[in-house]
Amino acid sequence: MKRNTLFQTAALIVAGIIVALVANAFASRDRKLALVGTYPNALKVPSREVAPTVPPPIQPVTVIPTTTTAPAATATTATQPTATAAITTVGLNPAAKTPAATTTTSAPTPHSPPTTAPSEDHFLPHPDKPYVEIAFADVKTLHGRNVLFLDARRTSVYEQGHIAGAKPYSVWESDIDDKVRKLFDERSDPRDQSLPIVIYCSGGDCEDSHMLAQKLWGIQFNNLYVYKDGFPDWQQHGAPAHTGANP
Amino acid sequence: MKRLLTHPWLAIRVQIALGAIFVIAALPKIADPPSFAHMIYNYRLVPSSLINISSLAMPWVELLAGLALILGVWKAAARNVVAIMLAVFIIAISINLFRDNAIDCGCFNVADRGKTHEQRIFDMKVDVFRDLGMLLMVGQLWWAGKREEDATQD
Repeated sequence: MKRNTLFQTAALIVAGIIVALVANAFASRDRKLALVGTYPNALKVPSREVAPTVPPPIQPVTVIPTTTTAPAATATTATQPTATAAITTVGLNPAAKTPAATTTTSAPTPHSPPTTAPSEDHFLPHPDKPYVEIAFADVKTLHGRNVLFLDARRTSVYEQGHIAGAKPYSVWESDIDDKVRKLFDERSDPRDQSLPIVIYCSGGDCEDSHMLAQKLWGIQFNNLYVYKDGFPDWQQHGAPAHTGANP
Repeated sequence: MKRLLTHPWLAIRVQIALGAIFVIAALPKIADPPSFAHMIYNYRLVPSSLINISSLAMPWVELLAGLALILGVWKAAARNVVAIMLAVFIIAISINLFRDNAIDCGCFNVADRGKTHEQRIFDMKVDVFRDLGMLLMVGQLWWAGKREEDATQD
């Protein structure tokens, strides 16, 4: 390859990068990206969920398993940097609070097989795991208690329809860290951090809600619930929904 | 046959077609970088810290290379960029086919289309063949360019 062609090839790539950075600097809030993002499990292939042939009994609450076996210890080291990264990103001082690193938990893989928890133990803080997956019945109960709901989908999708009262917290938009920081400021008291928060996205293989839960867990929120089936399920049940930019 | 395949009439049309494909592919990604970042994340091949910068830069490089091909400016360089990108796409999709990680390729559309696992796997195979076809178009351009150079030297 000629030297001139090599130079031009490099110039095209560099020009593309420069234009991209300039375009991003002037992009609107919902189109803008932070140059460095923190996305848990970016290199981890999700395990495939195969639909069971026989429907399982109704399980109102599902919990991410906690183990103390050797593989779990490995998983913990894989998990905690994410939590720490979230702390760093939102500009909080990890030393100011007891870090979650003292607990051992399995990697919060979004689609790891869940186990059930007794329904009587509903909605208690669970600092040893980033989130608990729940189904419609529990979500409805929490909605009735005016618990904070966070919508992890894109803002444009949120505006087309969302759970009544839910706030937009898209993990893919550049202001997510500001929103998380603001939430932390609003709930800086440890008692407030133990209040339940429900996070949802589009159900199915959508992982945005799990990602947001991990971000919040990384800054000590310890009572997070992921509505596994998400907004489509909420709509199917005919539960209250709003459209537009306001909760 | 060789003369036919390297004829300037064919080469210019292949060049413009390839350029147009890359421009068309770049536009939805430029319009919605967060969705494209999500697509890149789904590949599970790019480290967390590089996802955003990749999703910002890649579409603009695609666009510039496509425009260069259409306008006939820096043809050889644009051809190289297109070839590198196609090779990366083919490898990335193939790895995920091998891992049975069904994804939307995000090649021309960055919206989640809610497909089943089987539909996605089928589409990924189609995408690999389509990209291989485009790589053949790059090969044709390279061959025609080389023949043109040889003719100029003679």
